Formats: sequence, C-alpha cells, structure tokens
Amino acid sequence: MSYQITIEPTGDIVEVEEGQTILDAALRQGVWLPFACGHGTCATCKCQVVEGDYEVGNASPFALMDMERDEGKILVCCATAESDMVIEADIDVDPDFAGYPVEDYHATVTEIIQLSPTIKGIHLELGGEMEFQAGQYINLSIPGVEGVRAFSIANKPSLKNEIELHVRHVPEGAGTTYIHQQLKAGDKLELSGPYGQFFVRKSAPGDLIFIAGGSGLSSPQSMVLDLLEAGDQRKIVLFQGARSVAELYNRELFETLAREHNNFEYVPALNEPDPDDRWEGFTGFVHEAAVAHFEGKFSGNTAYLCGPPPMIDAAISALMQGRLFERDIHMERFLTAADGAGEATRSALFKRI
Amino acid sequence: MATKLNIKDKYRLLTRDLDWDFDYQDRKEAFPQEDFEGIKITDWSKWEDPFRLTMDAYWKYQAEKEKKLYAIFDAFSQNNGHVNVTDARYVNAIKLFLTGVSPLEYQAHQGFAAVGRQFSGVGARVACQMQSLDELRHVQTQVHAMSHYNKFFDGFHEFPHMHDRVWYLSVPKSFFDDARSAGPFEFMIAIGFSFEYVLTNLLFVPFMSGAAYNGDMATVTFGFSAQSDEARHMTLGLEVIKFLLEQHEDNLPIVQKWINKWLWRGYRVLALVAMMMDYMLPNKVMSWKEAWEVYFEDAAGSLFKDLARYGIVMPDYVETIAKEKEHLSHQAWWIFYNFTHASAFHTWIPSAKELDWLSEKYPSTFDQYYRPRFELAAEMEKAGERFYCSGLPQLCQVCQIPMGFTEMDNPTLISYRDSVYKDDRYHFCSDGCKTIFDDEPEKYVHSWLPVQQIFQGNCGGADVETVLKDYYRINMGADNMEYAGSPDDLRWKAWKGVA
Repeated sequence: MSYQITIEPTGDIVEVEEGQTILDAALRQGVWLPFACGHGTCATCKCQVVEGDYEVGNASPFALMDMERDEGKILVCCATAESDMVIEADIDVDPDFAGYPVEDYHATVTEIIQLSPTIKGIHLELGGEMEFQAGQYINLSIPGVEGVRAFSIANKPSLKNEIELHVRHVPEGAGTTYIHQQLKAGDKLELSGPYGQFFVRKSAPGDLIFIAGGSGLSSPQSMVLDLLEAGDQRKIVLFQGARSVAELYNRELFETLAREHNNFEYVPALNEPDPDDRWEGFTGFVHEAAVAHFEGKFSGNTAYLCGPPPMIDAAISALMQGRLFERDIHMERFLTAADGAGEATRSALFKRI
Repeated sequence: MATKLNIKDKYRLLTRDLDWDFDYQDRKEAFPQEDFEGIKITDWSKWEDPFRLTMDAYWKYQAEKEKKLYAIFDAFSQNNGHVNVTDARYVNAIKLFLTGVSPLEYQAHQGFAAVGRQFSGVGARVACQMQSLDELRHVQTQVHAMSHYNKFFDGFHEFPHMHDRVWYLSVPKSFFDDARSAGPFEFMIAIGFSFEYVLTNLLFVPFMSGAAYNGDMATVTFGFSAQSDEARHMTLGLEVIKFLLEQHEDNLPIVQKWINKWLWRGYRVLALVAMMMDYMLPNKVMSWKEAWEVYFEDAAGSLFKDLARYGIVMPDYVETIAKEKEHLSHQAWWIFYNFTHASAFHTWIPSAKELDWLSEKYPSTFDQYYRPRFELAAEMEKAGERFYCSGLPQLCQVCQIPMGFTEMDNPTLISYRDSVYKDDRYHFCSDGCKTIFDDEPEKYVHSWLPVQQIFQGNCGGADVETVLKDYYRINMGADNMEYAGSPDDLRWKAWKGVA
C-alpha cells in the first residue's frame, strides 16, 4: 500500500510506501526537503500537516514538542503516512514557476520519427490543450508496463494540442522497449502533466547556458525554441553531447536557428566520433566543450542541464569550478526505471545537486 | 488573492530592518576584523539564513524544553538516579565531560558572541547571536544535569577551576583558546564548520549514547535537549563554508588551510573521547574505531565529495588517522593510567571480559601491542605494585597532549617531531601538529603548557603533590588515583551491599 504526499508550497508529489518515512520517499524521488540528523533529534525537517493521517514515529520529545504535535507538526525523517497527505515544508517556490495544473489526457500517436539509432521522436495529439512551461515533463502510461514513465516535453509550449517526446531505447527497459518496438501511429496512450521544477528562470538576469546529453536534448530544445520565439535577446548557448554523428540528432534544426538568431550559439560535442564522421567539431565530453567555450568562467550565467546522471554530475563540477553555484544551476536528471532510488549517502551541503 | 508567503520570505520581512546604515561612521571601522584574514566578501546579501527563528518563538520553545528537562532532573535526583547507573566506574566518563567538555560550551558561547559582532552582514550576525545563546543554555543545563553526581562522587567539585589549570584539560581548553584568538572567519570554520558540523557526532553521540547504555537518564535527557539545537549549529556551519567559497575564489586556499588545521586540532581533542568509549564505559556502545568509520569516514566522506565541487580536498593526514583508529584509544588510556595520580578521575585495568571485547574490536592491534601491557600492569597491581609515572610528561606544543602517541607504521616507537623557531626548539606529537605550528609559530610559542608552567614555578609548590593539591585543587586520595579501593568504589559497594 502506498500513499501520495503533496508537498506545499511547490505542489511536488511523492509516493510513500507503508512504513517508509516521508523524508526517505521525498529524497529518493528527487524532492529536496530540509533535513540534518535523519533520526528525529534535530528538528530541521519539521513540517506542518495540512491534511491526512499519519504516525509521528520516533521523534524526540525535545525536537517535536507536545504543543507542536497538537498543532499537526511532524518531523518528516520519522513520520509515516496512513493516508494521502498534504504537508507544508520550509522550501521556496520559484517566482518563475507558473504552476499550471496537472491534467489527464487521452493522447493519440500521430507520428514516430527515428531521430538516431537509439532515439525515437514520438509525436502525440493530446485531445485537449495542455499549458506547460518549457522544460517540464509528462508521465506516460505504457500498455503492459506497471507504473508510469516520465518523459520531458521537447516541443515549444505555444503548441498546446500536441506533445513531442524523445525516447532513448534502454536495453531491457520494458517501457522504452515497448515504445521502440511496438508503438505505432494511431495508438492511444494515457498521460498526465505537466510536472517538474525544470524550467527557464526568465526573471534571472544574465545569459543562458544549456547543456544536453543524449535524449536530454528534449527539454533544452523546448526551452530554446520558447526563448527565441519570445524574442529573448540574451545570449543563449546550447551544448549538445552525443557519442557520434549518428547520435547527434536535430543538428540541422539548431544550425538553422543559430544562423537566424545572432544571440544563439550551437556547440555540438562528440565523445567518440566514428572515423567515417570526419568530425571537425569539438571532440570530448559535453561539459568539456562548455569549459573550452567559456574558458572555464561561468559566473553571471544561468545554466540548465539535462541528461544522464554522470553527465549532469560532471557538468555541475565544471560549472562550480568556473564559479557558477547551486542557485544558478538547474537540472533534470534522466534516470531510468532501473536506476531506482539513489542509494549513496549524501551530505546536507547542497539542496538540489 | 495575495499569494501566501513562504517561511523564508516571512522571515526576511520580519528581520530585514534589524541592521542599520552607518552615515557618520566608517563601516570599515565599525567592523575592523573583517578584512585582515584575507577573506573577501563581495556581497553579504547572498548570505542565506541557515535557520529562520524569531526571538519570541525561541523563548517559547526553549522554555517548554527546559521545563521538561528540569522535571526529569528532579525526578532523577529524587529517585537517587545515581545508584541506577551500570557501575560507578561509568561516572568517570561524565567527570571527564563536565571538566573537559562543558566549559567548551561556555567558550563557544563567548566565541560566537564575539565573532558575531565582527560581521558586517546582518544575517551572519543574528545567526551567531542565536548560537551564542544556545551554547550558554547548554553549559547551564549540563552543569545542572551533573550537579546531582557532585553530591555523591569525587572529582566534580572544582570543574571550572580545573578546566583552566589541569594538564589534560588544557587539551580541550587550548583548542578553543586557539579558535577564539583567531580571526572571525577562522573561528567560524574552526568551530562552526569543523567542530559543530564535521566532528560533533563524534563528541556528543558517544557521550550521550554512553549515558543511555549506562543508565544515566539525566545526561541522556540533557543530550536530547541539546541536540534539538544542534541542527541550527550544523546548518550555520554549512552555510558559512558555502558562503565563503562562493564569495570569492581567493577564499579557497584560505578555507582549505583552515579545514586542514581544524579537523586535525579537533581530532586530537577526540583522543579523550576515544579512550572514554573503549575504556570508561562499563556497557560499551561501539568501539572508537567503529565510531570513526561511521561518523567520519562515511558521513564526512560524502560531505567532502560534495565539497570537491568547490575545489576543497580531504586533508592528506586523514590516511594517518585511518591508521591511528587502531591505536588511539589504547595509547591515550595508557597515558592516563600512568598519570592517574595527577588526574581528577580514576583509571583501572579493563576486566578480563573487557580485554576480550577490545581484542574482538581491534583484532589487528590489541593482542599484539596492548593486551600484554595491560596484563602486566594487572599482575603488578595484584602484587600491590600499582605504579604511577613519577615524572612529568613532555607535551606537544600544539595539541598539548603528552608525547605518548607512536609512529603509525611502527607502534612501538614514540612519534617525535620538532621545529626550531628563533633559536628555540619546539616539540610535536605528529606531522599534523608540526604543520600547524610551522604555519603560525608566533602564535604557538605562546602556548600555556601545563608541564612547562610547573617547572617554571608558575603553579606554586616545590613538588608535584603541592601543585596537585593547591594549584589544581585535586582532593588527594579521593579525586585521583586507581579506581579500585577509591572512596567512589567503597561508597558504591556500600550502596550496593557488596563487599
């Protein structure tokens, strides 16, 4: 039995298993909540319950006092859910977050395009309008696959009736295998959205850096298209990482945009180009391309990272060594269902990294 | 509808006008210590308040907590809680805590009040003030928690006096003196970050779990009460280090040097905790080695992995410490066994069962290096030849611990290091302490070293006994010497009705 916990004021939703603490569920699902000791003695993770039933668990009477218990306060490192819950945490809502409502859609596949040997572009007609912020994702139900799978939206938000997804085939991944091998135009799919805190902080001053790896081009593609369509005049640089030319999809799209817009630059980087590629662009990892392009100095920009965890990790280190810090780095990690929950112990130094 | 403010914005609106501008005074003169350490702050507004607490809420919560706490102290006292501890030997652990650690809380109170004054950023100032108040409450509640024991056991009666004078208490005292005589930013890295964040679990958790495992309800409850404040201290420590590293790239080497220095300084103080865990608790919680692995190698390991993004690296002596974890507690207890006539708590040879526990926890060192020594001492004691070292030990100029630690690659050879500064030779227990001295010799040549002070005649008395009795105020024959046959031991046996 699992329950849904809605975390205000951001509206993030996490699934918590019976007996699992709310903090554990949130951190494993990528939702940061303030915490320190992790065992009910320090009170850093104190939250207000707005609705729902729960057990306070093993919280120390000094960290969670009787009067606080009466007010419906909990320590999320100890508390477990007994129903769906809404809690209010000491976290910030981004002023650029539009908070479009999540809705359910019965979508129809209109077109499937082979973007690269491992990535397909899936085009869906939504059967209704979806308002979303460029960078956000949807949860897709796939026939015969338990649970939902998250995919970032690759098209710009001004196209309200349709959705474009970039799906990389994960060998032995049930969801992506179905999409790659069985899904065809005309099929119906259930999906819900939009979700996520990955979007352009339009109010942030300074120029923008996008770093994308593999099918993590999807969100940055939507974000760049949206910015250029809105006539944003700030400098925008998109770094796209791929293994070889064959995997470097949508290259023409961005080369064209770079020609049309003086403020947009496109820098592809290949880490293992084929000899046949006769590649003359940057060879190396995509974060290395960014370091080379900016001569290792990133401060004053805002960076958006999207792709597999090792790429994100390397990019964060590169950006921080170039003096761009957590508050100006936004990211979407593409985990596969097999990656599951992060198991490494983490320190409390960073909130989102 | 107006949007609901989140807690951060509410706090900002409540507190943002607490600072004032200086229109007829030079701001630099108002905050004269902000520049001299070389730390560059470009924008104090980037400081993120590590906790959002207003004074009215603070009083409300702390009053409630203290009400609870003192109710338990009263109950403990009325029920003669001291006779319910596992064994009277346990009480020596809290003698060490009251004389060695509680006065540090008071030092922290003074330290945070002093450095808070020096920051021109209002956020840091308020945070330091709050921590200063917490630390004052902690020393008070600790003294009250342990005052009950003072009625029934020796060794508690002169704790603040002893803290200022007694040789082994100069180890924790000089650690804090060193931090408080540094600049304000170094103090924050020394105490706020290294001590309160990285090492705190190795200091407080062993004492508090030790209390829990040994039936000491008063100390356990105090521990829970204090821990609910520690979160604020830990988040302040984290905010400080992030803030300094993000403000200017020139801060990185300075911060790295301070981390190296203060982790080593703090670790050396923890030698007292190591021996407490392995030797002084009748019911053991875990071994020092295990505690180091859990609380430093795992927890701090993931912290340093994150700090690496700023360019901070793990101090290289961490490898030395990893070797020392096999030896530290045994060597420290042996020092105290030798000098128990000069200490305000008792020592003893571990029982056969305890020796077996140590063999099990330290399979690669205990039987080889330490067990034979303790067994010999036990035999001598049985034969009526319990010995005490009659000389005064040489002390390390930096950590002030007697030079009894060995080389880690040769545990039978005492480790000696030295440096010559202005024609005088200074001695150190380790590379860590020598490096610290060499970086700031002018500071450490002023160290108040208890043994040297005795020899110089600054501690009164023509012999050691007079120094102990009059200058240290040790109640001779009661506070000091072997546990077996001590007044503590005899009283305990009388209460328990055993011969």
